[in-house]
Amino acid sequence: MSEKKTISEKMAELDKDTDWFYSDEFNLDEAVEKYKKAIKIAEELQKDLSDLQNEVEVLSQDFSK
Amino acid sequence: MDSMTPTEFIAVVNQTLEYAYSSVTIVGEVASFKVNQGKWVFFDVKDEESSISCFMTLFQLRQPLEDGMKVIVRGVPKLTKWGKFSFTVTAVQPVGEGSLKKAFELLKKKLSDEGLFDEAKKRELPKYLTKLGVISSTQAAGYADFIKIINARWCGMKIQVAHTQVQGLDAPDQIIRALNYFNERGEVEAIAIIRGGGSADDLSCFNDEQLVRAVSSSKIPVITGIGHEVDESLCDLAADVRASTPSNAAEILTLDKEAVKFNINMRIDTLDSVIYNRADAEKKAVNEKLTQAMKIIGIKIIDYRKQISARIKTLSALNPERVLRQGYAILKGEINPGSVVNITTFDKIINAEVKEIHEREKNH
Repeated sequence: MSEKKTISEKMAELDKDTDWFYSDEFNLDEAVEKYKKAIKIAEELQKDLSDLQNEVEVLSQDFSK
Repeated sequence: MDSMTPTEFIAVVNQTLEYAYSSVTIVGEVASFKVNQGKWVFFDVKDEESSISCFMTLFQLRQPLEDGMKVIVRGVPKLTKWGKFSFTVTAVQPVGEGSLKKAFELLKKKLSDEGLFDEAKKRELPKYLTKLGVISSTQAAGYADFIKIINARWCGMKIQVAHTQVQGLDAPDQIIRALNYFNERGEVEAIAIIRGGGSADDLSCFNDEQLVRAVSSSKIPVITGIGHEVDESLCDLAADVRASTPSNAAEILTLDKEAVKFNINMRIDTLDSVIYNRADAEKKAVNEKLTQAMKIIGIKIIDYRKQISARIKTLSALNPERVLRQGYAILKGEINPGSVVNITTFDKIINAEVKEIHEREKNH
C-alpha cells in the first residue's frame, strides 16, 4: 500500500499538472484527463488544508548534558 | 587535632571548597588579561576593593575579552599545590552594554573575515515545509507565539522541539547540542532557533563563538527568530535566514493556508479558460492553415492558366491553316523540270508541272 502523500507532495503535483496546461506539451487529447486529475488533487488539498493539524513533539532528549 | 602534611591540608581545603562552592558565579571587571602559549588564559576579575585571579583554557573562551570589560564568570575555587588560591573558570560572558558591544564587534570582525556571514553561503528554505526542527525554551513566550502562528498559518507539519536554555552561560552548549542532534538525524528540512525579546545580557549567548560556528556549519538550513527587530546577534548573521522576531520566523517558514486554498481554487478555475483558449487557438491555427492552402492553390491555378494560355498561343502560331490563311501555300513533290507537284492553298489543291528552276537570292 502506497504511503499517503504530504501536502508538500500534493502541491508539487498540482504545480506540475497545471504547468502542463501552459506548456508546449499541451494537447487537447490529454487535456480532459489532466484536468480531471488536477481537480482531484485540488479537492484533496482543500480537504487537507482544512482538516490537518501540525504535530508538535517536544523531544525527550536532555540537551543540558 | 592531628597534624597534616601540606598535601593533606590542601586536599582537605579543596574538598571543603568543593563541598561549599562547587560552582561559583562572580561579576566583575577584567584586568591583566593575557593568553599564554596560545592555550592558557589568565585574567583577574576585580571590583573597587578586591581581585580574583582566574584561569581557563583558550577553548573555553567563547567571546573576546579585554581589560576593562565587565564579565560574569562561573568557576571552581581551588588551592593549588603551591598553596595559591586559584579560580578555574568554566564559563565567562561579557555583561553590560559597553562590554557586550565591544565583544560583539571584535568577534563579528573575526568571523566576518573568515567568511562565516557571506551572502553566497545562504540557502533558501523549502517552500512547502513538512518537517521542522525548533530549538527554544518551551516555557518562553517567544516559543508560544511562534507555535501559535505556525498552527494558524499552516498544517500537516511535523515539528520536533529541542527544549534548551536560551539565555545564560549554559545556553550556547545546549543549543549546539540541539543543532548537532538535528544535523546527525537529518530528518528535518529546516531548523528554527527561537527566543523572544530580552536584555542585551539575556541575548548575549547568541554571540557565543562556538554557537555561531555551529549555526554557520549546519547542513540543514537555519532560520533565527531572536529578540526584537532591533536586536542583532552573530547567530542571526550566520543563519541562512534572519527573522526579526519569533512571530516573523513563523511567517517566513509557512504559507498562509487560507491564501493557498484561494490560490488553488483560482488556478483550477483558470484551467477552464486555458483549455477553451488553447482549443480556440488550435481552431484558428487550422483555419489559418486552410486559408493559406487555398491561397496557394489559387495562385497555382492562375499560374497554370497563364502557362496553358501561352502554350495555346504558341501552338496557334504554328497551325498550318493559319499560315495558308495568310496566303502561303504548301508544295509537295519532287522539284525537277517536268515533274508534277501538289500545291495546297487556303481554299484549293492544285497539281502543277514544274517548268523551270532557278536559284533564288536570299535576303538575310
